[in-house]
Amino acid sequence: MSNLQVTLCGKTFKNPVIPASGTFGFGREYDEIYDISVLGGVCTKGLTLEPRAGNPVPRIAESRGVILNAVGLQNPGVERFIAEDLEWLKGKTRVIANVAGSSLDDYAKICARLDGLVDFIELNISCPNVKCGGMAFGIKPESVREVTAAAKRECKRTPLVVKLSPNVESIANNARAAEEGGADCVSLINTLTGMAIDVERRKPVIANNTGGVSGAGVKPVAVRMVYEVSRAVSIPVIGMGGITCAEDAVEFLLAGATAVQVGTQNFTDTLACPKIIAGLDAWCENHGVKNVAELTGGLQLN
Amino acid sequence: MREVTAVILENKQIAEEVYELTFCTEQSVPVLPGQFCMIGVGGMPLRRPIAVCKAEGERITVCYRLKGEGTHRLASEYKAGETLRVLLPLGNGFSLAKEQKRIAVVGGGVGIFPLISAIRTFRDKEIYAYMGFRNRGAVCMEYEMLRAKKLTIATDDGSVGYHGTAVQAFQEEMSRIKPQAVLACGPTPMLRALKQAVAGKGIPVYVSLEERMGCGIGACLVCTCQKTDGARARVCKDGPVFEINEVEI
Repeated sequence: MSNLQVTLCGKTFKNPVIPASGTFGFGREYDEIYDISVLGGVCTKGLTLEPRAGNPVPRIAESRGVILNAVGLQNPGVERFIAEDLEWLKGKTRVIANVAGSSLDDYAKICARLDGLVDFIELNISCPNVKCGGMAFGIKPESVREVTAAAKRECKRTPLVVKLSPNVESIANNARAAEEGGADCVSLINTLTGMAIDVERRKPVIANNTGGVSGAGVKPVAVRMVYEVSRAVSIPVIGMGGITCAEDAVEFLLAGATAVQVGTQNFTDTLACPKIIAGLDAWCENHGVKNVAELTGGLQLN
Repeated sequence: MREVTAVILENKQIAEEVYELTFCTEQSVPVLPGQFCMIGVGGMPLRRPIAVCKAEGERITVCYRLKGEGTHRLASEYKAGETLRVLLPLGNGFSLAKEQKRIAVVGGGVGIFPLISAIRTFRDKEIYAYMGFRNRGAVCMEYEMLRAKKLTIATDDGSVGYHGTAVQAFQEEMSRIKPQAVLACGPTPMLRALKQAVAGKGIPVYVSLEERMGCGIGACLVCTCQKTDGARARVCKDGPVFEINEVEI
C-alpha cells in the first residue's frame, strides 16, 4: 500500500481522485453502486442561486473517443442542495461545490452562501453551454481576475478553486489572472467547445447546436495545458480532461497537478473512479513511489 | 443496479436490422418489465441504453436495432462467449395495480421489446397486444407476443395482419375490450397518436420513453424530459415509464 494522500490548500484528501462536476450529480446515484467514501472528494453538479431547467434535449452526442454535452446547468438551486444533499455528502468525503452565475453579484452571493459549509468552492467561469453560464468571465484575463476577486471576497473560510476554460488565447495567462484575483487553486480543463453533425438530417446532433467536448480524445490537450499552467502559477492545480485509467492520472500529476478529476469515464464505466484509485496504488507500488504526492510536477522534459 | 461482466450466449439477427442479444450474468439479476440496461461497446465512451426483453435469472435478453456505429459494432464484433460490461437493472419499469386486470399493450418498432417483457411478467392479467411493424420482414418474436390473450399484429403496408398502425388497431377495439390500463412504447408519433386516441377516456396509459443518455443512473441530467407540471424528469431514473399525461410528448 502506497500513501495516496494529497494536500490541497491545507486540506488533506485520502487520495487525489475526484469525480468531475456534472458527471456525478451530488453522489447519491453512484453511491447506490459503490461506497463513494472511497473517493478523494466529490465535485458537485454546477450550482446556481436559483433552480435551472437547462437546455432542450438531445443534450449529448458521441464522436471518436469523445463526447459532447450541453446540459445547460440544470440544477435544483443551491438552497435545495444545502437542505437535501450537503450533510449526507459531507459524511462521505470532501465536498467541492461547483458554482456558476451570470453576473459578478451572482458569483459573490452563491460563494457567500456556501462559505464555511463546503470544503472547496469551484468557480465555473467556463460553462460553454449557456449564454449566462459564466463563459464570458472565463475568456479574458481581466474578467477572470475580476470574477475571482468578487468570489474570493466572500470565501472567508473556504478555499476557492477557479475552473479554467481551454477555449481561450492563453490558459496560462488566465491562470495567472485567477491567482492575482485571489484564487487558492485552479482546475482545468473545462470542455472544449465543439459540434457534431447528423449528416442525414444535416443538423447538429445536440439541440444546443454546440456542446462541450470531453473524454479520452482531449487528454493530450489537457495534459499540455496543465503543464503550462502549473509552471505559470504557484497555487496548486487540479488536472482533468480525458482521464480513463491510473496511468492517465499519473500523467496529469507528473505534468503538475496535485489532484485529478474524472468526468466522462464515469459514463463509460460506473466504477471508473474506484478503479483509478486502486490502479494508482498499484502503479505507485510497482514504481517504488511511497507517496503519490511525490509525483506532482515530476515531469522531466526532453 | 449494478455493474456486471456478462458472457454473451447468443447475438443473432431476428428481423430486418434487428438483433437479439442474450447474455449471462454471474448472479441472478431481478429485472422489472420496462427496465433497461446500459451496454458498453468496446472503446466507445458512451454506453447504449437498451430495454430488457426477457429476464430469466442470470439470463438476460435485449433486442436492438442497427442505428449508429455502436449498434453496428455490437452486432458485428460481439460473438457468443465474449464478455460485455453491463449496468443493470435501470429505471422504474412498468407497474400495474392489482385491480388493473384488462391491459392493452401498444408497441411499435423496437418499442415492442420492453412490452414483451411486460407480457411475460404480467401473466395473471388479461393482455390485449397491438404490435406495429413496417412490414412482414420486420415482424419478430411473435412466439413471445402470443402469450397475450389476444395479439394483433399491424403492418404499415398490410403485408401481414392489420393494415395500419398499432394505435389504429387498438382504437378500433378499445371500446369493446375496455382496458383498465395501457402500456406503450414506440416512436414519438405513435405515442402522440395514442395520447389522442385515449384523450378523455380516463384510462391510465404508461409509456416508456427513449432519450440519449449519459450515465444511465440519474446523475448527469442529460436525458431529461419535460413534465406537464413544468418540472423536468430524468428519463433514466424517474422513468423511462411515465403516465402519458405526466409528460410532454
